Amino acid sequence: MNKILLVIQREYLTRVKKKSFWILTLLVPILLVALYAIPIYLATNSLEVTHVAVVDETGLYNDFRSSDNVVYHYMADIDIAQKALGKADTVEAIVYVQKPKSGIVPTEIFVYYSKDAPSPSVKSGIDKQMQDMLRNNILLDVYNINREDYEKITNTSVNLHVQDLDTGESDFSSMRMVIAFVLSLLIYMAIFIFGSQVMRGVMEEKTNRIVEVLVSSLKPFQLMMGKVVGVALVGLTQFVLWIVLSGSIITAFTIANADTFDKARQQEQIDMLKSRGVSVEQIAAEMSDTDMPDTDMQTEMVQGLLHIQFGVIAVAFLILFILGYLLYSTLFAAVGAITESEQDNSQFVLPLTVPLLLVIILTPTLIEAPNGSLAIWLSMIPFTSPVAMMVRVPFGVPIWQIAVSVGILALTILLTVWVAAKIYRTGILLYGKKITYKELWKWLRFNN
Amino acid sequence: MELLATENVEKSYSGYKALDDVSISAREGTVLGLLGPNGAGKTTLIRIINQITAPDSGCVLFGGERLSQKHISQIGYLPEERGLYKKMKVGEQAMYLARLKGLTKYDAEKRLRQWFERFEIQDWWNKKVEELSKGMQQKVQFIVTVLHEPRLLIFDEPFSGFDPINANLLKEEILRLKNNGATVVFSTHNMASVEEICDDIVLINKSRVVLSGRVNNIKNSFRKNIFDVRCRKTDGEIAFAYGISVLSQTADELNTFLKLKIDNTLSPNDLLRSLVDRVEVLSFQEVLPSMNEIFIETVTSNNQSQTAENKEDI
Repeated sequence: MNKILLVIQREYLTRVKKKSFWILTLLVPILLVALYAIPIYLATNSLEVTHVAVVDETGLYNDFRSSDNVVYHYMADIDIAQKALGKADTVEAIVYVQKPKSGIVPTEIFVYYSKDAPSPSVKSGIDKQMQDMLRNNILLDVYNINREDYEKITNTSVNLHVQDLDTGESDFSSMRMVIAFVLSLLIYMAIFIFGSQVMRGVMEEKTNRIVEVLVSSLKPFQLMMGKVVGVALVGLTQFVLWIVLSGSIITAFTIANADTFDKARQQEQIDMLKSRGVSVEQIAAEMSDTDMPDTDMQTEMVQGLLHIQFGVIAVAFLILFILGYLLYSTLFAAVGAITESEQDNSQFVLPLTVPLLLVIILTPTLIEAPNGSLAIWLSMIPFTSPVAMMVRVPFGVPIWQIAVSVGILALTILLTVWVAAKIYRTGILLYGKKITYKELWKWLRFNN
Repeated sequence: MELLATENVEKSYSGYKALDDVSISAREGTVLGLLGPNGAGKTTLIRIINQITAPDSGCVLFGGERLSQKHISQIGYLPEERGLYKKMKVGEQAMYLARLKGLTKYDAEKRLRQWFERFEIQDWWNKKVEELSKGMQQKVQFIVTVLHEPRLLIFDEPFSGFDPINANLLKEEILRLKNNGATVVFSTHNMASVEEICDDIVLINKSRVVLSGRVNNIKNSFRKNIFDVRCRKTDGEIAFAYGISVLSQTADELNTFLKLKIDNTLSPNDLLRSLVDRVEVLSFQEVLPSMNEIFIETVTSNNQSQTAENKEDI
């Protein structure tokens, strides 16, 4: 068996066998699912009931409807309400609608509380109900507008379709933005997480002094590349596990809760219609109408997902991740070889982190103009291109530009591997000496 | 027959010469002591033999062939700066290092089990290295060094970190390996162990070989014509003929001890004759210099002559 394969095997297995690897592998999908599920759970299963007092001097807001979470109590005047607010376990807030000094409709309405401010969902519930009552009572009754006309007007919405004139394809740019942002951030994090694993591995071998035993059996270059490849495989394994785990957990979760979601959505719509003063019989008829804009949005998202070339993006992601990782991890290996503690390697690590960090900071700008000159330049410079090109790919990049960028990157990798191997070879056998940039330059010029 | 030879090896690091025209040879089945003060260039030479670094000029021969990658599996190296992966299990780690030396999985495991049995450490197999004491780790390291049954073994300061019992065990193992036909290159500062183990020595000082040869011959060539004599107790000073000087004279209740030095013109027999006339000789023995004395004398005089040369240059 080839020696480099033995090194790859060891690097891979020791890392994959670690508890921390599995904790991280399980934790990320769980967090992801939690981010997705907790808000839904809270929205559907909130057990807290808030009691709200309503004092309406105008008579315009005479139709607050209680729900599972919020119960409204009409009170005759503000003094009674204030007394109720002072007592424990009665009402937590007062909606006070004062008679306006002039006109019919009050413009300032106060919500009082004594202990805790009402939660955002309670506030928005109050706001929504008041808007609806205002419409029903003032627009419809005071100004005598026909209810059917009103419904037609408010239910009319506009869908903006941005299309390529030549191909007739839709733009789906918001979808592309999300993909660009997530994937470029993922490459950025992966390069540094796994790059610093390589660096720590090299430092471990150096400070353990096992490296001298190892290099009497194989070439330093084999040792370095074995480690780089082994850690890359660990990274790819983790990616695959993350995707498979989060995918299956989310699918399982969605299927198990499909009923809950549907009910929640229906209930929301019924509440909305009821609050507009629509009778139960009318609701059934209205349901399909109100569904319309919502489903349109959803189908467009699905169309967008189908339309964007995921194959191309996935291949680009893999290539850019692997090349970016190779570029940086070999340099991280060299840094690990010339330092013996985390403290004294910052002068070498810092310059390595700057280029990619710069791209991440510039990502919003690049997304605005994915084919602008800044984006093109950054996606050609090898130290920024793995992330910068990933930002551009979802928006469509000419093939020749991808080819040139990947070509430059590959050539640079050959150069950095050569430089890193040279530094690594000398550095790993040098103990207790602080190394400067001047020293490194000497190593590169002379063959040691 | 020489197993290992270096011929006119030179090596410089940016501006500093680590090895200058170094030629050494190790006879097959013997122990060669590689001696020298710190910074003399021993480690550089050992690294060149292990192909960790390459010489600038000169060559290294292994069994008559030019040293190449294929010889790696025939060399075992225990470096001075040594260690193991702390988090890895002992057995797993030993397997890994053995397979890097070219052993198959099957052979590596079989031999490791045998060695673990020999050292009675079978229950260490599944322990992590960090759970072992330093001395225990050294044992594991020793096993890994010799496991692939190399023809050439290189030990760099092997006794550092060993307690006396383990150091003795190690010494016996080295001699056993030698008796089984292995050639050993042995670098150390411990001169007592050199006398016990080494057949030949090479002394390197300031990048150059300053002394080399068989231990017995070297000792012989460094003898100073000094003799220890024990005789029946006599009172007062003993006067000797011309050419014999008394270096010291001590006595206890029964014996008088003399340390005598003779001129080059005289032989030990002349001294003995002269003694017999004067005292009743009980024992008579030539004093040979210890390796320690030879080391210090050679290095000091070499340094002095170099300083003198440098002064002349200026």
